[in-house]
Amino acid sequence: MAKDAVRLPAPKPFIERPPQLSGLLAPGTFMKVVGAVLFIAAAVLPFITATPYIISILTSAFIYIVLAMGLNVVVGYAGLLDLGYIAFMAVGAYTSGILTTTFGLSMLETLPFVVIACIIAGVIIGGPTLRLRSDYLAIVTLGFGEIIRITANNLKITGGPSGVHGIPTWSFFGWSFSDGLNLFGIHFNSKVLFYYFVLFVGIGLAVVAVSRLGRGKMGRAWKSVRDDEDVSEAMGINGYTTKLMAYIIGAVWGGFAGTLMAGHLSAISPNSFLFLYSALVLMAVVLGGMGSTPGVIIGALFVSLAPEFLREFSEWRFLLFGVLLVVAMIFRPKGIWPANAVLPFLKKREIPQIPPTAAVSVVGVLDDGTEDDDGDAWVDADADAGADAGKEGKR
Amino acid sequence: MFSRSTKRLKRSAAIAAIAASAALVLSSCSGGLASGGDEGEEETGPIKIGMLAPFSGSEAAFGDYMKFGAQLAINEINADGGIDGRELELITEDDACDATASVAAAQKVVTAGVVASVGGYCSGATLPTLPIFAEANVPMVIPAANSNALVGQGAFMINGTGAQQAEAALTFAKQEGATRVAVLNDQTDYSKDLAVTFIGDAEADGSVEIVLDGAVNPADKDFSANVKSVTDSDPDFVFWTGYYQAGGLLARQLREAGYEGPLLVGDGTVDAQFAAIAGDGFTENVFGTFTKTPDMLEGADQWIADYQEVSGGADPGPYSIQAYDAVRVVAQGMKDAGTTEGTAVHEAIGAIDGLELSSGPLKFTDEGTLTGGGFVIVTVGPEGDFILHDDLQG
Amino acid sequence: MFQLIWNGLFVGSFYALVAIGYSMVYGIIKLLNFAHGDIYMLGAFLSFVVLGGMTGILGIGNLPILLLVLLIAMLLTGGLGVLIERVAYRPLRGSPRLSVLITAVGVSFTLEYAVRQIWGPNPKVFPIRLSGDPIEILGARITVPQIVLMAVAGLLMWILQRYIMHTREGRAMRAIALDQKASLLMGVNVNKVISRTFFIGSALAGAAGVMAAAYYGSIDFLMGFVIGLKAFTAAVIGGIGNLYGAMLGGLVLGLLESFGTNFFGGEWRDVFAFGFLILFLTFRPTGILGERVVERV
Repeated sequence: MAKDAVRLPAPKPFIERPPQLSGLLAPGTFMKVVGAVLFIAAAVLPFITATPYIISILTSAFIYIVLAMGLNVVVGYAGLLDLGYIAFMAVGAYTSGILTTTFGLSMLETLPFVVIACIIAGVIIGGPTLRLRSDYLAIVTLGFGEIIRITANNLKITGGPSGVHGIPTWSFFGWSFSDGLNLFGIHFNSKVLFYYFVLFVGIGLAVVAVSRLGRGKMGRAWKSVRDDEDVSEAMGINGYTTKLMAYIIGAVWGGFAGTLMAGHLSAISPNSFLFLYSALVLMAVVLGGMGSTPGVIIGALFVSLAPEFLREFSEWRFLLFGVLLVVAMIFRPKGIWPANAVLPFLKKREIPQIPPTAAVSVVGVLDDGTEDDDGDAWVDADADAGADAGKEGKR
Repeated sequence: MFSRSTKRLKRSAAIAAIAASAALVLSSCSGGLASGGDEGEEETGPIKIGMLAPFSGSEAAFGDYMKFGAQLAINEINADGGIDGRELELITEDDACDATASVAAAQKVVTAGVVASVGGYCSGATLPTLPIFAEANVPMVIPAANSNALVGQGAFMINGTGAQQAEAALTFAKQEGATRVAVLNDQTDYSKDLAVTFIGDAEADGSVEIVLDGAVNPADKDFSANVKSVTDSDPDFVFWTGYYQAGGLLARQLREAGYEGPLLVGDGTVDAQFAAIAGDGFTENVFGTFTKTPDMLEGADQWIADYQEVSGGADPGPYSIQAYDAVRVVAQGMKDAGTTEGTAVHEAIGAIDGLELSSGPLKFTDEGTLTGGGFVIVTVGPEGDFILHDDLQG
Repeated sequence: MFQLIWNGLFVGSFYALVAIGYSMVYGIIKLLNFAHGDIYMLGAFLSFVVLGGMTGILGIGNLPILLLVLLIAMLLTGGLGVLIERVAYRPLRGSPRLSVLITAVGVSFTLEYAVRQIWGPNPKVFPIRLSGDPIEILGARITVPQIVLMAVAGLLMWILQRYIMHTREGRAMRAIALDQKASLLMGVNVNKVISRTFFIGSALAGAAGVMAAAYYGSIDFLMGFVIGLKAFTAAVIGGIGNLYGAMLGGLVLGLLESFGTNFFGGEWRDVFAFGFLILFLTFRPTGILGERVVERV
């Protein structure tokens, strides 16, 4: 294309876009600040109480958040149901577990292998099925999850049903967490160091990266494919590669969470990767709010900490989760904290009235009845007109 | 655009700074990282003993069997005046047979200040807890979990290991005059372990030939394909190493397919439900390897009555007596050591010689397993429960 | 060899019965009823309860009694299927497919763990056990109960085929499968027909559950999970949404598993089955008998 080609000026929009919100009460800023405060609170917590138990369950919960964030890319952003997500965690956990115990690599050195293994797994499973209807994908992923688990159970290198044990914690260039660390006269033991590692690298990275991915070009492509694949294909988005990207990114996150889990537990076995656990991660994402970062974090914390705090109800847990899933889908399909929820005391962007002369009606901004305010604290505010509005779906 | 984001950054940085300073003030609280080391060991008050067992999930029944057995031993020791005048106290936690839950549970009992552990039912859930107890200097006596992966890692196991059970099975197979043995496992940790060990022993021994090494899917009901492999290999002895749920169905389908020879089952299938699942007339010529249960011991009636008093009327089950023994072993170790300090107790337990357990006089090997596995051969009695058939002492 | 074929056909006929329900529901409202395998499990448990209430007139191996219980259980599971559709799926008609699928997963969990809370996690022994002396045919051992159960399965499928292809109601079903909106405009009561589809599909799955319980003799709350997956695989192999395809797919999968176990060993059987599913979807997503499925409307 010649640089000096004459370009037509873009048509003037019918409506002035409202100005960007600013100040502490702008939803974006406010959520960032809340996030930062919570993050610091988590970082401070070991100074207040450092019992091994608290550190241990929080580490597990944080790893769960990483896992749920990864599934959120697949389910929440791209709208693909994955019922075998735990398989990617298994791939990551086994890859790093075997490489550290059998081949003597350090955890850090296993990361590239984990990433490669997960990408391969993601392509193998997503490649053939993403061209098909999404519900085929659901069952195929479930089958794939079973395949991974059974294979791990049968092979010698994966330790068979006993799995891999004696997995070391993380180490960097000869310095390992197990050596401990003394800073300012405070002794950090290996568990606490690992806790910080998961907090900073795992959660920090997962939450920031995934939510930024979701807002970026790739994320918008995912959402448009989720909402209407035909239209987005017409707009020049390749639906297949977009979905495959989401799938691979989700797989890599799952693998990373698996690597963290292997380091945390020091022993992994095929029984940790049953379908049940795939379903639990899915519940965390769905109940929290598909495609919503705060929602997924809340969901993951709920699912991972509930059995610890409600030990006497552990028998009833799965029944309750099943009922909750059905109820949530019927009455609150977008979860506890929908992706476009704004706390009521924050500023909202006003969508100005469309002048009556406009010949084009903007459907789906004014009259979308999908998210009615059912008397609770959340109010919709569609930040981008119509982007998150009215997920009509395919009828 | 640019200026706005820097403004926002400044603001969050300010908030972060405030929060961080607040944190530093808070960090002078007790119990945190900055509050110094662990508190010294209490020398008064009850001696806490931890037990991780499944109280939820598919194995929940075993958690209760183990808990009441251990509680009975503790009650008896406390009635005797405890250890050095201090009472014992049992702290149970649910590991749900799941690695993540068991790690959390282990941290929980360690935080609660236990000085010994007498739990561990599922091998997969017990393995990740070993380093936690080791780090906290808590000696472990494992009553049930017996995977070979646990051996030699500093824990004591008072249930016979897979290796010992395989040995007993091979002895029995030779007694029966078996020459062609088919082995089936159900792909669980315990089952595969037992099958692999048995096959290894048999090949080393050379007097029996392994004609089939197969695996079933325990979630299934239809084992016709496995049964066909068995009948095709024409064995005169079949060894099933899995659990009773699938074992009962397998026994029935084997018989229906025309296999008449002896069927030996591992201790996972030695359960009162086995005969019910297999059905009447399908439990002939079925034997099991098993460590002794209360009803095989002398004076068992009294023990069972005592147990029921603790459990509120429920009968003892598998591993009740092992959990009971585990507590006694720990108590003996503490008595010998004269302290509850972990290392000393660990050494004292390793040095115990001749404490009378249900499996016979106790002597640990260097790896922390029993010198004799205490396995006997049981068979299905007229009532459908398993009764002693051969104690393999002859 | 013949033993392998016979075993495969026998297991396959159970798969086929369950797969038909999957296929029918999918053909009509494009919903993967994930809870379908659990209906099979419920069929077994409901008949267990019914038999428990009839202990007075039990003789072991009582075929007439069993057939009566089979009918009762079919009615119950059919009704349950209708109820599930009414409560969980109907409010979501027209929602994104993802929501409906997640609901189905939720229903499946609810059914499994409700049964678990009521009857406990350990297997229950079914009061009626079918056993008979085997007959040798071409080197395969065949028992009378096997023949009876296969005959019942075949009969149910034949009735269903007549019903769908030769009755007014069947025509309505086929019409909705082709075009729901147009059928509505032509005066077909769509909701009623969908309920009926759920009833029939669930009743067949329940029947398979009762037969499996009576033949194998032990039931547990997760028995429907694997067979649900297998039935789906069978439906895909045959061509989902196609009645004959579901029957054929069930038998083909049964044979595949039977031979696969023989050659690769039992531990690899499920890997083999699901691997087959993935291969099929890659190279022939429409299955053996399926027509080209149009994804875009």
